[in-house]
Amino acid sequence: MTNEISIDDTMTEKTGTSERALPGDSSEGSSPTGTGVIETRAMSVFYGNFQAVADISLNFTPNEISALIGPSGCGKSTVLRSLNRMNDLIPTARTEGEVMYHGENIYAEHVDPVEVRRTIGMVFQKPNPFPKSIFDNIAWGAKINGFKGSKTEMADLVEEALRGAALWDEVKDKLTESGLSLSGGQQQRLCIARAIATKPDVILMDEPCSALDPIATLRIEELMLDLKENYSIIIVTHNMQQAARVSDKTAFFNVKMSDEGMRTGYLVEFSKTDQLFTSPREKDTEDYITGRFG
Amino acid sequence: MSTPDHNEKFHEELDLLEQRLLAIVDTAEGMVERAVRSVVTGDIDLAKGVIENDNAIDREYFQIHQDWTTLMARYQPLGPDLRRMAVLLHLNITFERMGDQCVNIAKITQFNEGLPSSDRICELIQEMGDLVRPMIRTAIEAFVRKDLDEARLLPAMDQPVDRINANMYREAVEVADNKNTLEWATKMLMVARALERIGDQAVDFAEQTAYLITGERSSFDEAGLVKSPNDDTG
Repeated sequence: MTNEISIDDTMTEKTGTSERALPGDSSEGSSPTGTGVIETRAMSVFYGNFQAVADISLNFTPNEISALIGPSGCGKSTVLRSLNRMNDLIPTARTEGEVMYHGENIYAEHVDPVEVRRTIGMVFQKPNPFPKSIFDNIAWGAKINGFKGSKTEMADLVEEALRGAALWDEVKDKLTESGLSLSGGQQQRLCIARAIATKPDVILMDEPCSALDPIATLRIEELMLDLKENYSIIIVTHNMQQAARVSDKTAFFNVKMSDEGMRTGYLVEFSKTDQLFTSPREKDTEDYITGRFG
Repeated sequence: MSTPDHNEKFHEELDLLEQRLLAIVDTAEGMVERAVRSVVTGDIDLAKGVIENDNAIDREYFQIHQDWTTLMARYQPLGPDLRRMAVLLHLNITFERMGDQCVNIAKITQFNEGLPSSDRICELIQEMGDLVRPMIRTAIEAFVRKDLDEARLLPAMDQPVDRINANMYREAVEVADNKNTLEWATKMLMVARALERIGDQAVDFAEQTAYLITGERSSFDEAGLVKSPNDDTG
């Protein structure tokens, strides 16, 4: 079954996104496909013999927020993690098909996965600041990702990242305090600051608000809307209202059971969010968002 | 195998809200019949009953609005459920206004008391009433059965209503030589206008049904086909 999904306007790439090239890319500076910032082509992910997701073809538009939704076990987090090779850290994981980042396959042999994760950053479900000062949380992340500037430049980078994550005003007078002393919402914004300090152009978010209270959730959502000016954001969320509030496009995944009892996720629909949550194209999507679901 | 409904409570409450709205439009249809009969026969008691009936509609309108708001706050529905909620809110207002038009007609019965009338105009008003009530009935049935073809019948059914209303001025001129009959006829122009509005509200009801079914917001043209908002130069 092929899930070739396209949206009319994904063919119109927004300007303003810096063109990126991965290490080893001989055509540095080019954007070969001229379509999405990330495009998966018939991507399948396996854990050993178990096929977690099958045949996913998606095209993410730059400077937009794209939400991945679906029932538990549909593979949306697997898809997200495959977009920056985070799945490589799982020994049995294997990816088939292609994941194109500005036109280059990030799974190509010569591509360095560490560099992939720098340019395609990730924010996790539970805030995970390092047990270090607020300043060092940003500085250390930048250093291990190759930042070689002076002390002043590092201070500027920390301030810029914290401002970018809408946290500067709250922490500017206590930069030496532990990152763990912050509230849950502040810790998550610190993790976002850490992610943007490495200058990615895509930020992946795996249920970034599920551990936060409603006010902290709204602040993160506001921040996401600000961040999309400069970054492309792909978010996995269980909260459909959150997807409806923040995203430009939404992908709905479902899960099917094989005769052998294997549950494999697949893409049902990738539509503009406004359409998906008012008049979805597919019956499965309609059933899911109205709660009529097996 | 039926699909389990994890949102069963919400769907039950939504069904209930819809039934209450249909009860309002059912009442409104009956009010149209009584309002027209009162104005054509000059039955003051019947007119009074129509006005009292509308008070009950108004109370239910406010209650439905309140319950609608609670449902939205509690369940934040999406997809077809969201469309259904949007349509129910719209229809609540439409049906309340339908009741108001019946009151307008009933009040004219009271204003016209004792004035000489014209049989010809009475016949035309009666005809308009007889055309409008089946429109409401058809719109209700299209909504209940989610029948797009039936909903599309409404614009054609509305055409004779519009035509009679447009010609009513000429009928009033015909009785202009008697000052009292003219006064009566001038008020009857307002009755014709109220019935024409009720016809439009029935068409609007059918357009909401079409939106519910198709997910596309549009109005009908005279043939009952969808018309893009951009086509509307009026």
